[in-house]
Amino acid sequence: MEIAIKNKFTQISQPTATQTVKALSKRFFSSLFTLFLLISLLFILIRLSPGDPTKKFVSAQLSPELSQKISEKFMLNEPVIEQYFAFLSNAIKADLGISYNYRQPVLKVVWEYFSFTFVFSILSLSIQILFSLSIALFVSRRKNKLLSKGISNLSLFVYSIPSFVLGVSLIYLFSVVLNVFPISGLKSLDHDNISFIGKILDQFRHLILPLITLSAAGTAMFYKYIKEGMDEVLHQTYVLNLIASGIREKEILKKHIIPNAVSPLISVAGIELGVLMGGALITEVIFSLPGMGRLTVDSIFSRDYPLIIGCVLTAGVVMILANFLADIIKIKLDKRLLKGLLN
Amino acid sequence: MNRNIIKIFLLFVFPLIFTFCDSKTPDQINRIVIGISADVQTFNPLFTLSVDEGAITELLYLSLFDFRWNEAKGGIDEYPMLAKSWEWTADSSSVIISLRNDAFWTDGTQITADDIIFSFDVYSDPLIQSRMYGTFKNLFVDEENHIDLKRTFEVISPFEFKVNFLPNSVPNLYELSLSIIPVHIFGEIEREELSSSEHNFKPVSSGTYLLKNWDKNQTVTLTANKRSFLYDDEQIDEIVFKVIPDYTSKILQLQKGEIDLLELVKVEDIEDIKRNRDLDIVPVIGREYDYVGLNNIDPEVYSDGKIVPNKLFGSKNVRRAISYAINRKEILNEYLLGFGELAATPVSSIFKTLFNEKIKPYEFNLTKAKELLATDGWHDVDKDGVLEKGDDELSFTLYYPAGNPLREYASISVRNSLKAVGIDVKLEVIELGTLIDYLFEKKLDAWMAGWYVPIPVELKPYWYSNLGSTPLNFASYRNNQLDSLLDLLQTKISVEKRTGTIKAFQKLIHNDEPVTFLYWIPNICVYNKRITEININPLGTVTHCWEWRLQ
Repeated sequence: MEIAIKNKFTQISQPTATQTVKALSKRFFSSLFTLFLLISLLFILIRLSPGDPTKKFVSAQLSPELSQKISEKFMLNEPVIEQYFAFLSNAIKADLGISYNYRQPVLKVVWEYFSFTFVFSILSLSIQILFSLSIALFVSRRKNKLLSKGISNLSLFVYSIPSFVLGVSLIYLFSVVLNVFPISGLKSLDHDNISFIGKILDQFRHLILPLITLSAAGTAMFYKYIKEGMDEVLHQTYVLNLIASGIREKEILKKHIIPNAVSPLISVAGIELGVLMGGALITEVIFSLPGMGRLTVDSIFSRDYPLIIGCVLTAGVVMILANFLADIIKIKLDKRLLKGLLN
Repeated sequence: MNRNIIKIFLLFVFPLIFTFCDSKTPDQINRIVIGISADVQTFNPLFTLSVDEGAITELLYLSLFDFRWNEAKGGIDEYPMLAKSWEWTADSSSVIISLRNDAFWTDGTQITADDIIFSFDVYSDPLIQSRMYGTFKNLFVDEENHIDLKRTFEVISPFEFKVNFLPNSVPNLYELSLSIIPVHIFGEIEREELSSSEHNFKPVSSGTYLLKNWDKNQTVTLTANKRSFLYDDEQIDEIVFKVIPDYTSKILQLQKGEIDLLELVKVEDIEDIKRNRDLDIVPVIGREYDYVGLNNIDPEVYSDGKIVPNKLFGSKNVRRAISYAINRKEILNEYLLGFGELAATPVSSIFKTLFNEKIKPYEFNLTKAKELLATDGWHDVDKDGVLEKGDDELSFTLYYPAGNPLREYASISVRNSLKAVGIDVKLEVIELGTLIDYLFEKKLDAWMAGWYVPIPVELKPYWYSNLGSTPLNFASYRNNQLDSLLDLLQTKISVEKRTGTIKAFQKLIHNDEPVTFLYWIPNICVYNKRITEININPLGTVTHCWEWRLQ
């Protein structure tokens, strides 16, 4: 039977290098077109929507002439179509303009926030996958229906807790009552005066509650995907045959069950990574973290048009890249998917 | 595999966490932490717009004069800062200012008249678009509002210069009080590039504190400038502005002692705070009021470029009836729990000498409201509970901004109050940016908003009839008699006449009631009692914080 399974895969012809390049190029250009549509639509829509970025420069203590000058500087008095073409010609040169609020290049501002979001998202996704996989394996190996049902209900409960409720509850319990974690921020006020290891641990301490808040729902969701995948694979005849053949349970899990069970998870993980990198507003606000979520919302409220586009473009790019990465991993696991991509 | 993971966690991670998760407070260094809602975006006073940015840059960069709140007179008094002394000419057309010779930039360069003149030059430069651009109305400026340096300044020596004002202008020292920036740093930078200069974030400054560290969106740490002529040994060593966007987090940190000072505390938290013996509460009332805006002109006709009275609010009887019908005291007691003060006019009672005490807010009086409406011809002819006049119904939409619970509560109260006198109000919530846009375009009939009042008193930008030059007159209120008073305030008049004019303004505006003035909202400040010699006043919370001490 093991031979039969192997044959099933060997019957599929291996994709050639040309086919792979073609598939990747196709995906690249379609992604580029999606991004173009995204920023074009966004550019037009935010300018047509009510709200004027220069109105904050009008008050009894600021002159109306200042608002006028700012409008001139940022071409806000020009027709939208002219602004759009000026934006496109600059965007091609990787210049997204100057943020009205920060008075700095948009890419510079975005990078300052994205670097934190990147690390935070990777950590959160790793936790989500690691924990969900561990719990799913633990439950599957126990074959205890009560435990399985209990964990399923618990995961549903965790998934349904709004993140602000979870965040505030964690703060109350661990920071106020037990006083073991800081309430907010990324590091202590005395961070600069502690050793290198101390600095890492200090940041680690600060990130624990935010990471739990951000990762809880994702862990519950991934658990459900993995558990369902495992249950399905476990009931496949080839698995039963492998067990009957006396192959070690650990080996069956590692070589056959996990690779097949996590396949649907990869697409979801790709989307989740993209969402995380777009910013986790609620977690960032509750724990005072400098992430993309806060930057995006602040830029929207202050009508900082170039920065809005910068944030959305970044979110779009990472979403596409994350999905692209997920596709590559999926193809790596199952070459048949390349054919689907080519079509 | 899963067991291994669990083992790793149990063996390494958790012990590590708990080893370092001690509950010790930071080292007891001479430091205070102030909670702020949003990070600063620059340390250059040319571009600061938010209150917190202003407070921080004022600590970094000194001005010519030091303005302090005089509680007794309800106004500001000027004291020397970079200016050692000053002398007005007999006709008040110019002032000779002598500078201190012991004031230095943090890089050791001495502060001279060149820095002062350069500062005025860049603040007024159209290429730079500073926050002060276009505001130098009493100085000689060109057609682009750039200060004419030759006509305005005469350098007598490196530490003495003369400032000439426009003939017949009403100069004051407050206009000359801007944070001075160094010419030897910013003078080297192209004007167009000044707004994005690295020096905006690594300032060479002159203030009582200097920037020690800026962790973006986390903390701004200032350390005492020991070279400042204002420094003394008891000054607090470090002031940390901690960015905490979430209100609940701020309150928890205040209660826990992680932050020492917080502004804009909600009234519902006062009882909890009172139970904390380490904290003290100071409500500052009189800088911000809420109002129900009533468009005095027809917004639809105005969009065609014409001005005709609003068919509902063009009449002062209707506007006054609305003020009589709204139970403002109830909102004040129910929502603000007695903190705050009823508002009668846009002049706050903090300006003790200017405030007209004879003017009392319209009392809650439904009978009076009904009488006024009947006088104006509004009657419930069809008995549907809503008043009519001809084909018009006394019905309108009241817009209020999203995310402001007080205004949401007050809007509902206003709707219910007005229903009792036959006025039908529909409520609509609107995003703040959109509301502001509509107000500038004068698109709305009625709205609920607020104003933060400037010090010294400024009235013309809000109430002058020329709608083209006063975009902040959202209610489009027009009164020639009032315009004359506002024009008079722009001329050279005695202090007594100025006081009388402002009191007359209040009488007129109260009589016309262009909008319904609701109440003065408190800015409740809470601070840790370990800070002593703190003086929170309407000018600001952290102004003069170099004079605070720590127990």
